[in-house]
Parts: sequence; structure tokens; C-alpha cells
Amino acid sequence: MVLVDVSIVSAEFTGTITDSKMAEFTKRQIVKELILEVKNITKEVNSPEGALTIVKDVNLSIESGELVSLVGPSGSGKTTLLAIMAGLDLPSTGSVSLLGSEITLLDEDQRAQIRGLDVGFVFQSFHLMPKLSALDNVMLPLEISGIDDAQSKAEEALLSVGLEKRVHHFPTQLSGGEKQRVAIARAMVNKPKILFADEPTGNLDTKSSSAITDLLFSVNDLLETTLVLVTHDLALAEKCSKVYELSEGELL
Amino acid sequence: MMRGLLYGIKKFWSEITSGDLLILSLAIVLSVTAISSVGFLGDRLQSSMKEQASSILGADLILRSASELGSDYLELAKNNELKTAETVSFLSMAIANEDNLLSSIKATSESYPLKGSLDISMIDGGTLTHQGAPKSGSLWVESKILEALELKQNGEVIIGNKTFIVEGVIQEYPDRNSGFFGFYPTIIVNIDDLAEMGIIQTGSRVVYRNLFAGSQKNIQNFLDSLQDMPADIRVQKAEEAAENLGEALESSTIFFNLASLFTIIISVITSMMAVRRYAARNLLQTSLMKVFGASKMFILGSQIMQLALMALLATLVGLLGGYLLQSLLINALQDIINTELPPPSFKPVILGFVASFCVVFGVASPYLKILSESEPIRILRNDFSIGMTRNLMIYLVASATMLIFLIILFKNIELILYIVGALIAVTILLFLIGKGMIYALSLIKLSSGIGWKLGLKNLVQRGNESILQIIIFGLSLVFLLVLAETRTDLVDSWTDTLQEDTPNNFLFNIQEYDLKNISEYFADTADLSPVFTPLIRGRLLSVKRNNTELLDSDNVMEREANLTWQETLPESNTIVQGSWWQENRSMAEVSVDDSVAKSMGLALGDELYFSAGGNNFYATVTSFREVSWESFSPNFFFLLSPSIGKTLPNSYITSIRVPEESSIMASFVERFPTITKVDIGAVIKQVQNTLSSASLAVQYIFILALAAGILALIASIFSNTDQRKKEAAILHAIGAKRSLIFQAAASEFLVLGILSAMTAVIAAVVLSGVIFTQVLELSYSPNPAILGTGFMAAIIFIFIAGIMSIKKTIYTSPMLTLKDG
Repeated sequence: MVLVDVSIVSAEFTGTITDSKMAEFTKRQIVKELILEVKNITKEVNSPEGALTIVKDVNLSIESGELVSLVGPSGSGKTTLLAIMAGLDLPSTGSVSLLGSEITLLDEDQRAQIRGLDVGFVFQSFHLMPKLSALDNVMLPLEISGIDDAQSKAEEALLSVGLEKRVHHFPTQLSGGEKQRVAIARAMVNKPKILFADEPTGNLDTKSSSAITDLLFSVNDLLETTLVLVTHDLALAEKCSKVYELSEGELL
Repeated sequence: MMRGLLYGIKKFWSEITSGDLLILSLAIVLSVTAISSVGFLGDRLQSSMKEQASSILGADLILRSASELGSDYLELAKNNELKTAETVSFLSMAIANEDNLLSSIKATSESYPLKGSLDISMIDGGTLTHQGAPKSGSLWVESKILEALELKQNGEVIIGNKTFIVEGVIQEYPDRNSGFFGFYPTIIVNIDDLAEMGIIQTGSRVVYRNLFAGSQKNIQNFLDSLQDMPADIRVQKAEEAAENLGEALESSTIFFNLASLFTIIISVITSMMAVRRYAARNLLQTSLMKVFGASKMFILGSQIMQLALMALLATLVGLLGGYLLQSLLINALQDIINTELPPPSFKPVILGFVASFCVVFGVASPYLKILSESEPIRILRNDFSIGMTRNLMIYLVASATMLIFLIILFKNIELILYIVGALIAVTILLFLIGKGMIYALSLIKLSSGIGWKLGLKNLVQRGNESILQIIIFGLSLVFLLVLAETRTDLVDSWTDTLQEDTPNNFLFNIQEYDLKNISEYFADTADLSPVFTPLIRGRLLSVKRNNTELLDSDNVMEREANLTWQETLPESNTIVQGSWWQENRSMAEVSVDDSVAKSMGLALGDELYFSAGGNNFYATVTSFREVSWESFSPNFFFLLSPSIGKTLPNSYITSIRVPEESSIMASFVERFPTITKVDIGAVIKQVQNTLSSASLAVQYIFILALAAGILALIASIFSNTDQRKKEAAILHAIGAKRSLIFQAAASEFLVLGILSAMTAVIAAVVLSGVIFTQVLELSYSPNPAILGTGFMAAIIFIFIAGIMSIKKTIYTSPMLTLKDG
């Protein structure tokens, strides 16, 4: 399988192709490139009652630019599957290919490098650093990757999520919706190719949920970032182009 | 790694001001303050005491011999860049105004003394601090001689063949002999006049001394070059100058080391608490950094850099604090200390840095490993706990690091192993007691008092956490209690050494027929009952072992042996080997001072051959005694059994205490002119000054260790404050009244305080027993006042500090506490 770097091809596309029909065709071709492929994933953990299977023989694939949702009831293994797909955890058996790399064969540091360059995360509990301001929180991935001009890029990201007036606020000074916006700015500041969101609206009221959903979808639309969304909100899931449903660790 | 280090520098300031690193850095600041102030103060006071010891000796080092030393050693010393002086001492009659007095003559060279001062009141008025000898043909006398011989200005004194003019009165001289028989009044003459005096003949009893002073290194080099010295030359170092001073110095040094050691251990406990809190709070951050692509080395680098910068800053602040604290203490108590202390050395600074980095990285390394290896999946699981099993491993690693550090620092493996062994035993004891008590609590079923119920339930539910806290509280308390007991016992033993009734006068040459009159005199004038001790002038001639061979004469110096006989063992003596003689036993026996026995290589059963009162006789060594010379009672190297002692001619001596300014002794001298009176008030004062310095030092250092202990208690209270705060906020949120939350917290801290204090008292008794018997070589009996006070103070402190730590939560909106970051 050949995977194509979306940003490079997009640049070629904007810089060299003038025919609009041809451009549209090429774009569709790019979108269809595989960015994530999960094969025969099973995850077992030890429990007082013996080995417990959390994810069982899951196979799925996600193409570049897709909007994918992963739904299922609590305890169905959604978050575990997301963690395995993102390289945060390893499966007991099976393989995961993310952005062309067989991440199940890589060590923790190599997986971290991939995450640092091309993967973004948004969590249900926001997980902002309480000691850092909104700006510092957004700068964090850039500083870890050693990217220059981190501050202006982070300010730009905060502006794009409408938080230009909250730049120097600390997490305790922000509302839930604002915290999640900071988290999205932090996830997007590296311009990742794929964004994993674990119940991003789970801790928010309806109004904030709607705003955050719109923001995430606009990220997918404007930046062509692949979005993998874990949710138990079926209405939200249905807005995605592809829906995977999990029950007791198995894909239905 | 490099990017991580740079990131660590970049984020250092925000980390240190954010709170988590601040708590750890404060712990290190206070630890270094405590360690370095102990170091600075101990260093300066020990230097001061060494100076005092040198002053008592008049030099840093002395070579002493009964025969002439020649000029070789002086030349050798000069080659080693040492200052030198000479003295020659002997007893002789001083004759003036047709009267005479047996006096101790000290002939000195121009550079005498090398250490300490020689205060002379010139007879024509004025006092001056002198260095050197009187000019040839002149002499300086102690005031007793002035009085006894009725000397006036330009009075003449004949010693041997030479007539001297009295030039000055000796007020103070450094190498005052504190030995029992060195108390004849002193006359100082110029060493150049010795030959003209014509007193020293072959066989005369003379002590030749070469005095040396210089840097410790040069002194040591000089000592190293003295390998082939004849056996009759004795080396006296400043530290061994006077037995009393030496013992005080040794005991206080042991206490300083113990206090420093305990301060470091307490500081490590504090840091363990602080670093645990720091790690728990940073687990989210490092896991999140992993999610965003940080490698293990990046996290390790940033953490190491931040801890190193924090340790550096905290050490500098701590050192400054330590120096200021000891300066404040010394300044505040300058009048009591009475002596100008020398400036501190750089040793405490180095010690501060070594201690700080060892403590920080010793206790933080295991946590650094956990942080750098934190799994990013924790973020999704919302799991930021550090398990107890991991904690145990961490504490084992930290303990091992601490052990190595302490062995390197104190260079005394035996002491460290004793303390660490005891520490492990005490920790196990605390664990077992804590577990037992928590279990006992779980059995208590309270029928009323929701607050109490909640508090006790919390303690039981926290289980291992509560036991850990009891151990931490307990350990800090144990060390404080042990130090308090040690301090009190040391200071008490020093105070006992020189009690108010310590004799200040010795009376010699008392004959049998004077005993009744003297007793009556003191009974009438001062309501005193002097105890008379027989005194037999003799000489030890040789030693025979196993009735067969003579011992090597190098070890058995022919020496004047001042003997006595006793029916019962004197109060200030303890038998350390052998047994005291039985009544009515006919065998001639002798009991020997333990240190003399060691220096002569004597064994029980050896036969000592004495000459006394015209008789030569053998006495079998049947016991060795430890003599408390600081009692200032008549004490003897050789004590004979009555069976032989009663057959020898003897005079008597006694020691008494009379008020300093009274005329009792002046009248006594008039009434009993043949009896020699020796005033040892000056020697007593010198020893008193030294002991009060040592006592003060011990008190200061105890206060500092106490501060470190209190910090450890605070740190351990704050170690799980986050959890308590959350619980209080949840209780509040679900409708519990503030009074109920307060009651629950209060009861929890009160019970925790009682359990900790109780376990600490039990463990302190065990540890004190070990330290007293094994390290200080003293007998131990628990001090109820200290243990009781410590018990109550600990409960009150833990209770108040605990309440203070969560007070804010109780009285603020629960939302603020529960609001997620």
C-alpha cells in the first residue's frame, strides 16, 4: 500500500495544477489514501478474575481526511481501541499501521516521535496542565518537538479557536468549553495529519458541546485532518462519514 | 536529552513558582540550613574548643621527656615550618626572707607560649599579656608565693645557686597542669638561667618539653617524621591536652555527629515526602508530554535539569540561611560563650552541596525513573497514582543511597551501621505497632459522634497510607526524643562533673596528729567534714609477669608512684576488670588506673615491685579502675590493699570546697603552717568554661535538629493533603456541615497524633538504649519528663498542623477544590 503525505501533495496540488476538474479529482484520490489500518487487534488485561478481553479481533481502516466515529456503550472498549490506534498502548495481538509505520513494532520513544509530529489528541477531561497558562499549554507540543517560533504559532492557534482574550489565563480561570478549545488548539498547533478525540464533549453542556463539535469538524474540513472521534453520542456519530460500533470489545 | 535539558531550564522558573517544586525546594533549603548551620556552628565551636585545648597545652603539640630532648626535634620542626618553644619543669625550694616554699619551677624560652596567653601583673603596677620568658635574673611568681614568702617589689628569691628579682605576678598561664600533683605554686624563670641555678643534676626529676605550633598539615608531617622516637618521649596533642577537656570534646563531637546524622536523616524523610508529592503531581504532566511526543530521555533531561537547578538554588539559599542562623545564635549568646570564635571553614559549604545533591537525587532518582517511564495511556485512564509497591522500592533505593552517603560523609562505618541498623529495626517496630493500632481502631464501633466515626473510618480506610504516616511521624519524633535524651544526659553529666561542691583546695603533708585538729577547724569555721586519704610516696621499680620474667622495660617506665591504700573502692572509681579486694585478705594487692595499665601493657596477675618508705615490696595487680579525674577528689594511679598499705609510712591529703572570697584558707595557713595548701580554683574555672561552651553547643545544635524535625512533620502532614482536601470538598458538596468536616479532620489528626507519639515513645526508648550503651557507652534509663513532654508536644503539634493544612478547604467553596484543571 502506498500512503501519500497529504500536505506535500496538497502543496503540489495548489501550486501546479490549474485545471479545476483535475484538481478536484486529485483531491478525492488523496483523501482515499489509507492513514490508519488496524488488523486483528486483541487486547487482554489481567484482572482478579483472570484474563479479561477488552478488545477482540478488531479490523478497520481509516483513510486520509475521513471523519470517523467509534461508538458503543461504556466499557465496550472504545477508549482502549483509540489508545491502541494512536500508539498510546500496545495490543496483545495484531498490528496497527499508522501513517505508514507499523507502530506495534516500534518502541515507546519511536511511537512518541510519530505522535509528536503527526498526531493530535483531545480528551474528555481536557488534561490541561494546571500550572501552565493557555498559551503555555498550547506551546507544549511545539516545545517538545523543538519547533521554532512556538509562541506565535500557539497564539495563532488560540486565535483560531476564538480564545485570543484568554491567552494568559490558567485552566482554573477557564470554563469547560474554553478548556476544551485550548485542548483543541493544543492538538492542532502541530498541524497533525490525524486527530484522536476521546469523548470531547463528554464533560460539556449542550451549548458548549455543539460549539466544540463544530470546531472539530471545521478542523477536519479546513485542514483536511483525519478525525477519529470516540463518543457514545449517536447524534454526533451520525454526523461522521464513517461509524464503527463496538460492543463488548468487538466491532459490529 | 539535550532538548529536555534546555526545556528544563526554560520551564524552571514557572515550575518553581507554581508550587510543586517550591515545596521540595523549601524542604531542601531548610535541610541545608539545618545541616549547614549544624556544620558551621559545630565547625566553629569545635575549632574554638581545639583552640582552647591548644591554649591549655600552650601549643598544638608537645614532646615531653624526663631526659634532655636536644635540638634535633626543634630543627626538624623548623624544617616543617612549625613554631617552637622549650620549657623545663622541676620542683625546687624557693627561699626568701628566711622562709622557703616548695615550688614548681618552669624555665621557658623566649617564644613560650605558642598558644594561649601569659597574663602577668607587673609588680610595679599594670597587667600585660606576655609572650616570652622573664629577662635573665628575674622571675615571675604566682600570688601564693608572694603571700607565703612575703615578697615585695624588687624582692629577692633564691633558687639553687642563683638569686632572682621578682618582676611580676603570674595571673594566667596556658599549660597549667591539671594533674593532681602539679599544683605546687609556680615560678617562671628564663631558660638561660638554668645552668647558673645548678639544680638539675644527674637523676634530678625534671620534665623537658618541646612545644610546637603550626598548621594541621605541618603538624601531621612533623609527627609522621617522628617514627623512630625513643620510647621515653611522650607526644601530647592539643586534643589530649587535659582529660576533662578531651572528654567534653569527645562527647560533644559524638553529639554533633549524632545531631548532624539525625538532621540529615530527618531531612531525607522530609525530602522523601516532598518529592513523592512532587512526583504524584507531575505524573499527569509527564504522561501528557509523552502523548505529545516527548521521549523518555526528553523527560529525564527536563526533570534532572529542573531538580539540579532547584538543588543549586536551594543549597545556596540554605547555606546563606545556615550561616545567618548560626551567626544570629552566636551573636545573641556572645556574652555567654565568652570566647571569640574562629571563622568557619569551607567544609560546611561543601557538606551542604554534597548533602543537598545526594538527598535530592537519592530520593528523587526512583521517582525520576517512574516519571520518565510513565505510560501515556495513563492520560486516557485518568490514572495518576503511584502504587505502594513502587513506593517501597523507592524507599529501599533511597535508604541505600542514604547509607552510602552517610558512610562517606561521616567516615565512621560502625556508628552509621549502628544507627542505620537501629533505624531499620525502629521502622519495622513502628510498622508493626502502627499496623496493630490501625487494626485495633477498626474494631472500635462508636455508637455516637458522626465526626469521630468519619475520622476513625478515614484512618482505617487509608490503611497503609496511615501506617506510612505513623512511620514518618514516628521516625521524626523518635530522633528528636533520642537527641533530647542524649542532650540532657550529656549536659547533666557535665554539670555533675563540676557541681557546686567540687573541691577547690587540696591540702598535703597532713600528719596523723593533725587530723583531729584540721577536722575540728573546718567543722567550726565552715561546717565541713574533710575526708583524709593516706598518701604514700613511692616509686615503681619493675613489673614481673607470671612470677618468671621481667616485662620489657620500655613499657615500664621507672616513675614516681604516689600510692594510697583503701578499704573500699573510692566513689569516683569504677572497676573495669578484675575485682576489688576482700576484707582481711593478707595478700599484697594493687589496683591500677585503667589508662596507665594500658600504657604500661599490664595484665591482671602481674606483680608490681614498689619502693616506698624504705621498704621494697611486690603487689599483685588484681583489678583495673576507671578513674573519674574530673571529680577533683584525691585519685591515684596505684591503690594498695590495706594488708600492705597499712604497714607503710604515710601522710594524708584531702580536698575541700571553701567559698572563693572567704578568709578560711588564709587563717588555716596561719594555724597549720606545715601543711601545704594548693588552690585549684583557676583550673576548675578553665574546665568550667570549656564544659559550658560544650553544653551550649549541644543545646544550639539540638534546637536546629528540632527545627528539621518539625519541618519533617509538616512535610508529612502535607504529603496527602490533596487527598484530604478532595474528601473534605466532596463531603461539603454532598451537604456535610463545616463543623462535621472539622470534627472528622480533627479526630483523624488527633488519633494519628496519639498513635504516632505512642509508637515514637516506644521506639525512642529502644533506640536510646542502643545509642547510650553502644555509642556513648553510658547506662540508659528512660527520661520520663522528656518522653512525656515529647509525647504531648507531638500530639498537639500534629493536631494543630493537620487542621491548619486543610483549614482553607473547610472554609472555602467546595467548587474551588473540585474544579478540574
